[in-house]
Amino acid sequence: MTARRRNIQVVAALAAACALPLAVTNPGHQNFLILILMFAQVGVAWNILGGYAGQVSLGHAAFFGIGAYTSTVLLTHAGLTPWIGMLVGGLVASAFAVLIGWPCFRLKGHYFSMATIAVAEIMQVMFTNWEGVGGAVGLYVPLKDQGWEAMVFNTSKLPYYYIALGLLVATLAANWAIEKSFLGYYFRAIKDEPEAARSLGISLTRYKLVAIAISSFFTALGGSFYAQKELFIDPGSVLTTALSIKMALVTILGGVGSLFGPVVGSLLLTGIEEVTRQVFGGSGQGTDLILYALIIIGVAVFYPTGIMGWLKQRRFLVAEVKK
Amino acid sequence: MLNKLRAVALLAAVLIMGLTLSGNVLAENEIKIGAIYPLTGAAASTGLEMKNALELAVEIINNETKGLNLPLAATAGLPNLKNAKIKLIFADHQGNPQVGATEAERLITQEKVVAIIGAYFSNVTATASQVAERYGIPFMNPESSSATLTQRGFKWFFRTTPHDDLFVHNFFDFLKAVEQKKGVKPKRIARMNENTLWGTETTKLEDKLAKERGYNIVEKITYPAKSTQLTSEVQRLKASNADLIMQSSYLGDAILAMKTYKEQGFTPEAILANNAGFNDSEFLKTLGKDGNFILSREVWALDLTSRNPLIKQVNDLYSQKYKVNFNGNSARSFTGLFVLADAINRAKSTEPEAIRKALSETNVPGNQLIMPWGGVKFDAAGQNTLGSGIIVQVQDGKYVTVWPFELASKDIIWPMPGWDKR
Amino acid sequence: MSGEILLQTILSGVLIGLIYALVAVGLTMIYGVMDIVNFAHGEFLMFGMYSSFWLFALFGLDPLVTLPLTVLMLFALGLAVYQVVIKRITNAPMLSQIFATFGLMILFRGIAQFLWKPDFRTVENSLSSGKVIFSGLHFGLPQIIAALGAVLATGATWWFINRTRLGAALEATAQDKEAAQLMGIPSQRMFALAWGIGAACAGVAGVLLSTFFPIFPEVGANFILIAFVVVALGGFGSVSGAFWAGIIVGVVEVLGGFLLGPEYKLAIVLALFLAVILVRPQGLMGRAQT
Repeated sequence: MTARRRNIQVVAALAAACALPLAVTNPGHQNFLILILMFAQVGVAWNILGGYAGQVSLGHAAFFGIGAYTSTVLLTHAGLTPWIGMLVGGLVASAFAVLIGWPCFRLKGHYFSMATIAVAEIMQVMFTNWEGVGGAVGLYVPLKDQGWEAMVFNTSKLPYYYIALGLLVATLAANWAIEKSFLGYYFRAIKDEPEAARSLGISLTRYKLVAIAISSFFTALGGSFYAQKELFIDPGSVLTTALSIKMALVTILGGVGSLFGPVVGSLLLTGIEEVTRQVFGGSGQGTDLILYALIIIGVAVFYPTGIMGWLKQRRFLVAEVKK
Repeated sequence: MLNKLRAVALLAAVLIMGLTLSGNVLAENEIKIGAIYPLTGAAASTGLEMKNALELAVEIINNETKGLNLPLAATAGLPNLKNAKIKLIFADHQGNPQVGATEAERLITQEKVVAIIGAYFSNVTATASQVAERYGIPFMNPESSSATLTQRGFKWFFRTTPHDDLFVHNFFDFLKAVEQKKGVKPKRIARMNENTLWGTETTKLEDKLAKERGYNIVEKITYPAKSTQLTSEVQRLKASNADLIMQSSYLGDAILAMKTYKEQGFTPEAILANNAGFNDSEFLKTLGKDGNFILSREVWALDLTSRNPLIKQVNDLYSQKYKVNFNGNSARSFTGLFVLADAINRAKSTEPEAIRKALSETNVPGNQLIMPWGGVKFDAAGQNTLGSGIIVQVQDGKYVTVWPFELASKDIIWPMPGWDKR
Repeated sequence: MSGEILLQTILSGVLIGLIYALVAVGLTMIYGVMDIVNFAHGEFLMFGMYSSFWLFALFGLDPLVTLPLTVLMLFALGLAVYQVVIKRITNAPMLSQIFATFGLMILFRGIAQFLWKPDFRTVENSLSSGKVIFSGLHFGLPQIIAALGAVLATGATWWFINRTRLGAALEATAQDKEAAQLMGIPSQRMFALAWGIGAACAGVAGVLLSTFFPIFPEVGANFILIAFVVVALGGFGSVSGAFWAGIIVGVVEVLGGFLLGPEYKLAIVLALFLAVILVRPQGLMGRAQT
């Protein structure tokens, strides 16, 4: 595929995404699209560390939670607009990530994953018992201030949609820039050939830290956005391991280490989740869970490299046959 | 390229499926109410009981049910709206605030419900009612007790149950009354609360009131609700030598705590529980005689029927259908739906503003409720001002009302006998 | 604080720790042989508890009597899970394996709710109800029997791996699949065996727990995080590591909760875990990482 053709495709996709709410006018449907964008964005952020650099974190909720809490505390205590609070949250999360990553990166494989779960769970316990940030009661974002400055929109879903889209595009752009730069090359080296990379003089820990700093920054932005969208956060909803796992699932489903993988993954996973729950959830029999689980097991078994990986293989096979 | 097309088609199909999943065409003369409850996850057991209670309420409203002194029972449907029938659309919030908000959004914009009832969990009620507030759709909350919910200045939020503030006041009023009547005053109180929103808010209120009213809290425990053991907690209680335990627990931890008390031979003079796990239908089934003598804050008890025969009549209908008695949760859900249906009927319209207005003018007398309340009447914040709590005690395997004394059917047993003397 | 209370706390921690160890043994075994972390392990435990409950509720059979039956059922379930799902992802990337076992976890919870409703259940008045008081120390009889059972089951698993031919074959596969295959050990069968035994261990733990812990579809969630910690602390794949780590975690949880505040008990365990693996990245008794 030529670069030119690819550019055209990207622009076309972006234009389509911008125009989509014009066709989808029901706010409930728009909310569904926002959820897709939101989980796609954190998936893309997760992918920087988990996919490109191959360090499987199952504790990204810690960064998400830091983002959500930082912007909300700054808003409710100091009246700071979430636009700035969001960036502060990102920086705090990055700093925290580097602090945590520095010791944890000596761990490999499952040990690293376990350590990240432990960090996030400790965070959840601490926030649950921390009165200053609302403890278990959580924090409300006030409904009364509305508009772009407060990033609270009462009547329309559209602003949320475009903010989520903007965040996703920014995260994708960062990811794309990394992929094209020396960083992407180093990340892949860390993932696939750590020994060779080390012998070439690449400091593994340093670049892993770069990866986690970027990844956690964007994850925290997603957390701030969540707080502004739902207007209520508590440790059980923004610091839970279930959320960390969802970020990973979105990416795995779409394709690990592929730029658009998490976007495709979020579309599918959020779609499956919402549809099964909406259709079967009201019965109270757990059938929605059964169906949801069967689909994701099926994907894991039949498309172990995710949708993007599968597409790539198919394309490769077709090319082989044509030869 | 073909494969790519196929993949794109697949994605598009999922997207379209998600977008087009709306409710069926509205049947004629049906009023849709959304009901958001935890139908899967750790609280699903409670969620299903409340779902049953709501379904019974709908049955009574929609059919001609003779002989019940409930509003709307005797007629089929809502008489002021050409006998329109209530239709509940259930949604599962899985105990997750984000899911609760998403479902509220869907119910309002796709199912076009005229009001929402739910959501048991206070944190889910928080997000789901925010969505309702944005859209200007009445949100009826029959069972969440977090005090902060009615401090948000919402216009569309109505809560029939009293909140934790009142319940904790009940605790101390009760202690005072016991002191006056029996001359016993707990000298060393320990509190044992789970650490989610509900337990934490209760904790704050208990600490505050104990100080104001001169009670001595000697041990303060907040424990994680998903504990695999409660030995450390019980050891602390034992070491504190407390004579009264104030406890807020969900079902699993309530059972575990009771078993650990017995195992460790820990017998305080009384355990004053904050409803929830201690009043779940499974609690006594599981603990048998070990559950005796527990005192618990409640909003409903079967023995109140001596004052209001309605309670037994409705409970009979419920137990015939579902093989269990009402409890505080299901009775409150039942009541919430009646209040909501009554308001819609009085509004003579399904316009949200008309329903809201009718709700704010609600005045249901106490004898038309299955609760021991003075009635239902909302203040400006949407809080029912006539709600009240009672204290029940488990005696011979049954919950009997012991306070307020004018409602009591049995005398209170204090102190409770040791585990081996039962 | 009296020494008695301290001793009581520590011993209670050991008792629950032995249960943690047994849950973790099954998990670590599957990991050791296949390098797969089984997120659905808590659900094996849950099925063990339900099996025990239903045999009791329907036929009045005591959990301790029906233990062998439950073990057989869980062994079969483990085999089935391997045959139907795991076999197909043996060589898939680690992430899709996580994805698959996570899916199994949700599936099993959904099935349990579908079949048995989400109600809380308990086995009342089993053979092992009652308590033991020994010089001022109180222990529930169910806990003591459960702990003894856990020791026996863990010991049996250890013996099987270290002292039998089949166990040696299993261990050989765990160490080097290709080499073992060359020596005529069918790795697929070994994998299946590991899943069978792993699930059976969780099943035993489920039965033992059912005599004093409430039973509900989500019960696995209470134990799975602790089981992960025990496995990683002991060293992924090490049965004896899991045994000692289980006891350590149990004691630290109960004692830490008692001394520093119950609201922090999970955080204390996790902090200890982090501290240990940062010093010893392969866990207490794990094989060094390559």
